[in-house]
Amino acid sequence: MAREKIYQEEEFPSPFLQLWLIFRKTPVAMTGFVCSIFLITLAIFSPILTPYSAVESNLDMLLLPPAWDDNGNLSFLLGTDDLGRDMLSRLMSGASLTFGLSFVVVLISLAIGVILGSLSALTSGLKASFLNHFLDVILSIPSLLLAIIIVAILGPGLSNTLWAIVMVLIPQFIHITRNAVKEEFSKDYVLASRLDGASSFRILRYSVFPNIIEKIVSQATLAQSAAILDIAALGFLGLGAPIPLPEWGAMLKGGIDLFYIAPWAVYLPGLAILFSVVATNLVGEGIRHALKVHKES
Amino acid sequence: MLIFTIRRLNLFFFTMVLLTIVSFSLSFLFPGDALINLSGQINTSPEQLIQLSENYQTENSIFMQYYSYLGHILNGDLGLSMSSQTPINTEIANLLPATIELSMVALLLSMVIGIPLGFIAAIKHNKTADNVILSVAMIGYSIPVFWLGLLAILIFSIVLSWLPSAGQISLLFEIEHVTGIQFIDILLSDNAYKWQAFQNASEHIILPACVIATAPGTIFIRLARTSMLEVLETSYIRAARAKGLSFNQIIYRHAIRNALVKIIRHVGLQFANLVTLAMVTEVIFSWPGIGRWLIESIYQRDYTSIHSGLLVLSCFIFIVHILTDFIYAALNPLARDNIHGS
Repeated sequence: MAREKIYQEEEFPSPFLQLWLIFRKTPVAMTGFVCSIFLITLAIFSPILTPYSAVESNLDMLLLPPAWDDNGNLSFLLGTDDLGRDMLSRLMSGASLTFGLSFVVVLISLAIGVILGSLSALTSGLKASFLNHFLDVILSIPSLLLAIIIVAILGPGLSNTLWAIVMVLIPQFIHITRNAVKEEFSKDYVLASRLDGASSFRILRYSVFPNIIEKIVSQATLAQSAAILDIAALGFLGLGAPIPLPEWGAMLKGGIDLFYIAPWAVYLPGLAILFSVVATNLVGEGIRHALKVHKES
Repeated sequence: MLIFTIRRLNLFFFTMVLLTIVSFSLSFLFPGDALINLSGQINTSPEQLIQLSENYQTENSIFMQYYSYLGHILNGDLGLSMSSQTPINTEIANLLPATIELSMVALLLSMVIGIPLGFIAAIKHNKTADNVILSVAMIGYSIPVFWLGLLAILIFSIVLSWLPSAGQISLLFEIEHVTGIQFIDILLSDNAYKWQAFQNASEHIILPACVIATAPGTIFIRLARTSMLEVLETSYIRAARAKGLSFNQIIYRHAIRNALVKIIRHVGLQFANLVTLAMVTEVIFSWPGIGRWLIESIYQRDYTSIHSGLLVLSCFIFIVHILTDFIYAALNPLARDNIHGS
């Protein structure tokens, strides 16, 4: 809707809104954004949308190739696997397991990490220095390795995998929040509200958080792509989702034995993982690009 | 440089203590008896059990237990594997070199391919070449490594049958185990078919190394691109241009060196990433390395192997990390201390 300027009033959009206005102008980032929205919708509504059940097998339709193949059947658009389960339904339900759960995992670890990070930014001295060293050590261990360690302690299973990935992602959020909050706290506008008598928590809530939220969101996209890959990798190694669940990594593992006869059972879940990670990364790139443009303007 | 070394060694010591504490506490976190998790001896008679608990001082306080555990590690005793009842240190000594070999080849490959591409992208900033390289890089680090491995096997081993799909070397060659690093062993051996064996081993390493190198390689593209762009905007490059140097001279004599130094700093972190990818890839390509062994011991609930393997693997990653820090400091005076400019 076009806005006419009637009054001589200047509008100051919030930092997040400013970022969105820049973000909207990069077509590649918007493509990623639309794809992510599509995946989220799929993750939420997949039980309603799927044409067949994801776990029910159809014994007279074993190993049907996708519909564009000569032997394909149009009622099974992407073919079936070795137990006659519809690939399309499995992939759609897999969206809620691999993509949806990674989203939830990132949200949980974001909440914990931001709280711990802002608390630690308010402390200083020996405690802070110990925390810094500790975070450095943890962050130098790659996320998948750490997740494998935690799964080894907790034992295999989907919920254990998710807790492992939550724990693995928390240090990254603590680190980024801590640095961002510290940086903002040394700025003049924080000093101004401090002189007004605002408490540290009030400053955090009203002055600092609106200004650092875009950094946290950009970190969240990185964390999300790592989470998708980790959930799928653990599923592939047989440490994550148990067998009948249509998790994309576990589906890939199930398809290996029939790799030569039914290659679609391997390349379709892989493509799904690739698609969701690329979509997430495009959004992340868009946010970082918008941040850069915003800083330069 | 001395202060830098002391600080690094301090960090190294701190991390090693932390790692051993974590590894020690894992034996309590794992299901089952802590003593058996530590030693890995599952079929013990009561007398042996008493002997063991004296060895690990389980009657004493937790600090004494940790101390005796530390003593065991420093003597190279990591316990017995629960599944095979063989000493873990000999198993690791057999397996770790294969992982080192694979990850070093992959690291080299990713740097040799990634860094020049990143430089090209930076020089052609905002042109078609830049966009193409960036899009390839985006797909490269989004691709799941296990899927890429399977596709590589399907295309290059099964359909085209150019390269072997599993193992380190063909079983026809008998290579004596000296260092464990296959290429060195082949060169040391007095086998009549040395060069055929060498060729065969290189054929085996190409596919897994390329698969592992993809993701770190694309990250090197991005790192090289950003650092080159930063360098090209500095005032000394402008000064060199004002002096009338040609574009090639500026790039080869000034820009590349300064950009490379910044990339070396990140090699340690990327190496950690690369080792994890190597673990997954070893499973797919049946590479006889420590990653496959570790994941198999998770399947078998072989807790002694898990915690010793993790300790060794994270030590290895951390040592490489510290080494790259030293190389970076040796190459870049600014990193050592703040006396030289700032």
